[in-house]
Amino acid sequence: MKLLKYTIYRLLQAIPVLIGISVITFLLANLGPGDPVSLMLQGQEHSEELVRTIERRYGLDRPLHERYLTYMGGLLQGDFGQSIHHQRPVADLMINRVGPTLLLVLSAYAFALATAIPLGIIAANRRNEPTDHVSRIAALVGVSTPSFWIGIVLILIFAVTLGWLPSSGLIYPWRPPSAYRGIDGHLELYYESVRHLLLPMIALGTLQMATIMRVERTQMIESLQGEYVKLARAYGVPERTILRKHAFNVAQLPIITIVGLNLSTAIGGAVLVETVFNINGMGRLFVNAISTNDYQLVMGITMMLGFLFVIGVIITDISYAYVDPRVTYGERE
Amino acid sequence: MAVSESQLESGREPATEDEEEVEARVGWRYTVARIKRDTTARWGLYVVTIVLFVAIYAVVDSNLSLLTFGLLSDFTFARLLPIFDHPTHIPPPGEGTQHMPPYFPLAEQAWNPLPAGGTLEHPLGTDHTGRDYFTRIVYGTQVSVFVGLVSTFIGLAGGTVIGAVAGYYGGRADDILMRAVETVYSIPPLILIIVFTVFVGGANIWYAVLGVGITFIPVFARIIRSRVLSIREMDYIEAARAAGVKDRHIIMRHVVPNSFAPVLVYATLQIGVTILIVAGLSFLGYGAQPPTPDWGQMLNIAHGYMHSNVWLSIWPGIAIMITIMGFNLFGDGLQDALDPRIDD
Repeated sequence: MKLLKYTIYRLLQAIPVLIGISVITFLLANLGPGDPVSLMLQGQEHSEELVRTIERRYGLDRPLHERYLTYMGGLLQGDFGQSIHHQRPVADLMINRVGPTLLLVLSAYAFALATAIPLGIIAANRRNEPTDHVSRIAALVGVSTPSFWIGIVLILIFAVTLGWLPSSGLIYPWRPPSAYRGIDGHLELYYESVRHLLLPMIALGTLQMATIMRVERTQMIESLQGEYVKLARAYGVPERTILRKHAFNVAQLPIITIVGLNLSTAIGGAVLVETVFNINGMGRLFVNAISTNDYQLVMGITMMLGFLFVIGVIITDISYAYVDPRVTYGERE
Repeated sequence: MAVSESQLESGREPATEDEEEVEARVGWRYTVARIKRDTTARWGLYVVTIVLFVAIYAVVDSNLSLLTFGLLSDFTFARLLPIFDHPTHIPPPGEGTQHMPPYFPLAEQAWNPLPAGGTLEHPLGTDHTGRDYFTRIVYGTQVSVFVGLVSTFIGLAGGTVIGAVAGYYGGRADDILMRAVETVYSIPPLILIIVFTVFVGGANIWYAVLGVGITFIPVFARIIRSRVLSIREMDYIEAARAAGVKDRHIIMRHVVPNSFAPVLVYATLQIGVTILIVAGLSFLGYGAQPPTPDWGQMLNIAHGYMHSNVWLSIWPGIAIMITIMGFNLFGDGLQDALDPRIDD
């Protein structure tokens, strides 16, 4: 029950942040020196009359605060406005794009956690041994390499040179197999979707893996030096049990925080990875919206991604409270 | 602040061995000595020094100063600054390429079938317009280092002011500033930077640098604030306040300098992050614009020639990796060197 209260409390706390995001996005899109109409008409000859017509059509002739309130009113009803370039509702355009991005980001995290946690534990357990040095160097390379370049290199190796894996697009496991040519049966669909997902997942997940591994290593070292571990050792608890139970559980808490906070990096990285791998997710939609000066669509996507991040942080906060009995619900320092 | 009697007493006592040890573990000279001893930090320092040297070499290179040329072509206001004003170095667009030295990083020779390199003339080959790739990689250092340093500085300066004010005054100011910071923090950096760059400035490297800097104000503000919160309670701050020193003076003279060590480490690591982000920005086409030799932008172009010359996509990435790795190594080493709890 307490947890539910905490959840509601955190959700309420997110409201001012979401409003803030909308204000920033709205101001950036509308107050910049490049006003929407001239951006729309970029390079084209236009009469004063045409500008007025467009302004009236999109409600741009009204004062800024009025436009903001109208926009927000629409948002509350799930209306993100009309895309100027596509001439379709922004919400319609986004709805098909959220899935691929979520699939990409979540699988990248799954990859990162599945590799980073064991590696971090091994490194901490064999501190200052060759294994530790190798994994530390790997982590350093991981945090220093751009995700899109990892993607390019992976494509060059596994798609161009070896020809093992496809270099672009995704196959979505939630669609019926008949949606794709040459795929029959669900089994083949899942197999193909994994094959398509593998490279972008690694490209996006490497940075997360490296970050998580560094934290995991430090936390495990700290936790292995804790009093409770010494006590357990003194009681003659086997080293394996200490590692698995006593040290491990405590060390995982900061990982949850890191996962939540790094979500914004992962979403940014998704934009790049989607571009490299031609994946039709939110990121690519965003890049297209920017290049066509579709400010309504840009606003919608920015809001949506900010929203996803806030939700992600709340989920990690709640799971943190769930895992750590010391967290007091509903109170902040 | 309540100080117990025993604390006061121990304060008067001559320092024990333990305290002497702690005393010897802080300070500038000690830090430098530790950096020299620490393998990680030393290697970081080597790489950073080499990268900086390459960047500076490219600035003072007699043929042209690319910092002036490359960035000038992006930024018209640069003409206002005397340091950027070297019109003699800039050949008019479209002509003069034949008069340029052969390794001029912007001189487009002609279309070429992308030789693989490995020759003495072109160790890394040439790009699609016949420009020597190695030269462009070398000059790209400048843009990356410049971008990393300047935008980190913007974030650091902005974050220091906001964090110090929020932490020192607390209460309402703290609430408002921290909510604002949290909001900016909630928009994924790359997205915010692209929106800022394109809608406010139009894609060019200067707005990208400014955008990256502003985006990183929140992280610095948070760190400074948390440091200030603990320093605010220190006795010497109390003493300064009792002596009637002005708030602004206390913040600038006592609070900020004392909270700087962790921020310095963070800033060093942040330089790597900025370079990473600007590379991504340029890769998407919203950072440095052609013909400026920028690694991200070179990768963008090379992406189109992935099947004709693989190596064009490899070299800029390696350059980015080494540079960022240098700053990260140095930052890691600095962190250890500044932390008195860690043994050598």
